[in-house]
Order: sequence, then C-alpha cells, then structure tokens
Amino acid sequence: MGTVVVVARGTSIYLARDPPELPAAFPRGPDPDAAVLAQIDPGAVALPPDLVEAVRGLKSDDHLLAGDGALARALSRIGVRGIREATVAELRAVLPRLPLAPAAREREFALRVARAALERALNSPEEVLITLAREEERVERALGREDRAMASFLAAGSPALREYRDAWTETRDRLERHHGRLVALLERSARAVVPNLSTVVGEKAAARLVAAAGGVAPLGRMRSARLQLLGSRRRPSPERGPRYGLLYRAARMNDVPLGRRGAYARSLAALAAIAARADATTHREIGPMLVARRDRRVEALRRGRP
Amino acid sequence: MSRARSFRPFRQSPRLFEVRRADRSELWTEAVGAPPPVYGERWAESEGRYFRAFDPARSKLSAAIVRGWAGDLPSAGDRWLYLGAASGTTASHVADLVGPDGRVLAVEPSVRPFARLLLLAERWPSLLPILGDAREPRSYLPLVPLVDGLYSDVAQPDQVELVRQNAAFFLRGPGAPVLLALKTPSMGRDASAQGHLKRAEELLAPVLELEPSVRLDPFHRGHYFVGGRARPELFADALTGALSPRRGRSPGRRRP
Repeated sequence: MGTVVVVARGTSIYLARDPPELPAAFPRGPDPDAAVLAQIDPGAVALPPDLVEAVRGLKSDDHLLAGDGALARALSRIGVRGIREATVAELRAVLPRLPLAPAAREREFALRVARAALERALNSPEEVLITLAREEERVERALGREDRAMASFLAAGSPALREYRDAWTETRDRLERHHGRLVALLERSARAVVPNLSTVVGEKAAARLVAAAGGVAPLGRMRSARLQLLGSRRRPSPERGPRYGLLYRAARMNDVPLGRRGAYARSLAALAAIAARADATTHREIGPMLVARRDRRVEALRRGRP
Repeated sequence: MSRARSFRPFRQSPRLFEVRRADRSELWTEAVGAPPPVYGERWAESEGRYFRAFDPARSKLSAAIVRGWAGDLPSAGDRWLYLGAASGTTASHVADLVGPDGRVLAVEPSVRPFARLLLLAERWPSLLPILGDAREPRSYLPLVPLVDGLYSDVAQPDQVELVRQNAAFFLRGPGAPVLLALKTPSMGRDASAQGHLKRAEELLAPVLELEPSVRLDPFHRGHYFVGGRARPELFADALTGALSPRRGRSPGRRRP
C-alpha cells in the first residue's frame, strides 16, 4: 500500500506517489485560460477527465491525499471516498519531485492569474461602491474648494478679470454637473449593495461607511460604538473625545438641536450597526422599521429632555 | 551620474551596495527594472546599470541592515516567498536583490494595494504577485514552488504563527533563511514591545536557529527584525498543525 498525492502546480495537476516515482501530469484545463480560472475559482472548472480515470484506476489499498481543500472537494464530488488534505510532511514528500516550469512560463501564468483575480475582486458591486464613494468624496472636496476660492475672488471693475471669472464659473458648473452624475451613480450602487443602511443613514453616508470599513462584511462585524466614530479626526479620549465621524453627514442630523447631536449619533450608530449586519448577513428588509425608530428618536430629541 | 562608481558591494550580496558619504553611508540596490521610480526613490545610472536608493525610513529590511542585522539576506538567483507585500515598496528591493535570475513570489490579500503591486510586477521581471491570504497557504500552493527563503511583513496579531506555517509549507529545507519584520503594535496591548519580541523568539526558537534580533527604532517604531535559518524540526508535522485560534479583534481582511 502506498500514498498517492493529488496536487495542483501551475497549469497542471500532478498525481504523485510516495515512495518515489515520477509524478504523472494532467493539464488543469483544456487551455491556459481554463487553468487560470481553475486557480482563482476552483469550483468553476471540472477535473481533467484523464485524471479522473487515473484516480479511478488506483488500487483499492492506495491511500489518496489532496494538496488542498478545493482538490479534495472536487474529488469527493466525483465519488472518490476517504480523501483528505495531505499534511505538510506528506506534501513535502512529493513537492520536491514536481517539475519546475520554465521561468518565462511560470511568470506568464502567475501574471495571468494575478490579473484575472484582481479583475474579479474589483468587479464586485461592493468594490465598485467603495471606489465610487472615494471618488465622490474627492470631487465634493474639490467643489467646496472652488466655491470658497470663488467667494473670496475680487473681480469688480476689471473687464479682464470678470471675463476670467465667467470662464471659471463655467468650469465650476461643469464640475458640479459631474458631481451630480457621480452622486446619482453612487446612490444607485449603495441602494443595491447596502439597502438597509442606505435607508437608515442615507445613501451617501452609507457608501462612505462601507468605504471606511473596507467592505460590507467588516462593517457588519463592527460594534455600534466604533461605527459611530468611523471617520472622525479627533483622538478618542475620556475627557472630550469625538462624538461623531462620518455619521455627522447622515440622515436627519440637521433636524436635531446642536447640543443633542452626540446623543443622536449614538442612537443612529446603534441602528446603523443593525442595518449593516442585516446587509452583510440576512439580506432581509428591515430599513423601514429602523427608520421609524430613528424618526421617533429625532422627535424625542427635538422635544428636549422629559 | 558618476556617483555609482563609488558603490561597493555590501557583505556577500552582489546586488546590494553601500555608498559612503562624508557623514553617513547609504544603501542602494541594483534595479532589475527600468525607471520611473517605484515609490519616489532616488535612481542612479552607471554603464547601463541602474541603482535605486534603499531608504531605511521606507523599508524595514533596509533599516534592519543599517541597524546591524547579521543574518542571511536575499541573494542573487534565489527564489523567495514574500508575505505582506502591500504595494511593493520593499518587495521591489527584494526582487532587486535576487536579480533577474531569481524570483520573488509576493503575497498580498488587500485588493487596492495589490492593484499597484501588479502594475509594478508587470515591469519588474523577478517579481510575481499573488492575490491571497497568508493564513491560507494551501490556496497559493499551486503558484509557489519550494523557495530558498521567506520574508514576512504582515502586521497581524498572528504574524509569527503565520510565518511558521508558511515556512513549513514552502521552504526548500533545513538551513533556508526566514526573515520576519515584527510589528509589535499589531500584536495586542497585553505585552510591551520587548514582551512581544520575547514571545515571538520563544515561538520561533524551536524551529529556527535565531540570529540576534535587531530593533528598528527610530526608523520604524515598535518594530523588530527577527529571523534565522530553518531547523529540521520546522518540517515535523507535530509543529505544523492548525493555526491557533485568532485572538482579539477579527482581522477584517477580505479574501480574494
């Protein structure tokens, strides 16, 4: 009885026997693209038929091991029994005998895998939302800068300067239209990715929270106390720390009297944390229920302390 | 730029150079790629060869050499596994050190830094980027042949465990070097920087012949450079089982 290790390396899957024997190679897919896909999404490509045949042809007392979990799952899916992941020592018994691809081919394959993996990762709606949120923040800052500069620009009396200001205004208006289109895109994206959070704090704030947390899942894991301060610039301290970060621009903050905004941020963060959790896990629609609680809280804060 | 003529190779590394100036000495690496600069570093050219300044304030490896690291360094023709490459600042210098015939397999889990790493790798012949999580070595097993050395700069609470696991999987055998830029502020508030260093050394001592660790202050606060050559015990199964459960805050890293 011997052990046989199935292990993927580059564009091939190897069937390597211990005690030593030259490993048999099977191409991971019909073409290099399939091998790239097999690396970034192991479930998407079927095992090579000749490998399946070779595995079925093994003697019954051969012990079959897989190099990684994805291969083990793929093999048990086709009916191979008792397969498990090889331990490090079992793997190391066969790894040195796998042939090395020529340097140029190895590099070519690694770069193709990297490009495909990056494209896949960046194409998720979540990553698009993060990119849009950062872009919108940048354009909004630029717009604010232009407005402040324009307010302090003195053009009275000089025709040349007035002409310059008109051209400038035109550029600024174009930037504003660009910003408007960007916001529309961002809002649509936020409603699709984090519907509950968008309903509770508003699309823009929701998008910025996701971008600051680095994704929907990290945001869903966050406690409300941390979410409340996300994006705040001041250093937390026991005396007078920050009371809000990104949430200062959230829905209905302006309806709350100035002295009560910290309290509102605290309540809103609690609701936002629940919404984010729903968006990250259950995907159930709980937005309207949270909005009702939010608005009750706003009314209570406006009436003042009982 | 005649400056390059005063370059002298540093220790046994044929692609690492020390330039003595009046008041200080600088480290430079011979570039495997062509300009523009990777992260704004200075370049010099001499007889068709390009050199890049290796600034200790930007790179923990450079800081370690400046502070007197006596252990192995990546050398020409080697194949190295690099964990936590980020956008490739230090990884590009390691790729310089291994030269055009060597390989640096650079693992990075976060998408945005990885996008920059890939852009760099396209023009840096000895650098190969891998989008993957260093906690799951099996996910990049098909891309990583056995390597001559392991470099890790992963700012995570379990960085030492993760290095041991990867070393057991991928190092070519006993004697191969492991270098670890240890970031103690990422390891929790339950011990001082020295306490964390001591713990890391205790964890690594059974599997590595440790070189004296080097403190990277003032270049990188709270960082140490730890490492040494692999002992045969590293590859024994008893030590390379499952990772210990993660402590404290969830790492919040996204998988590709």
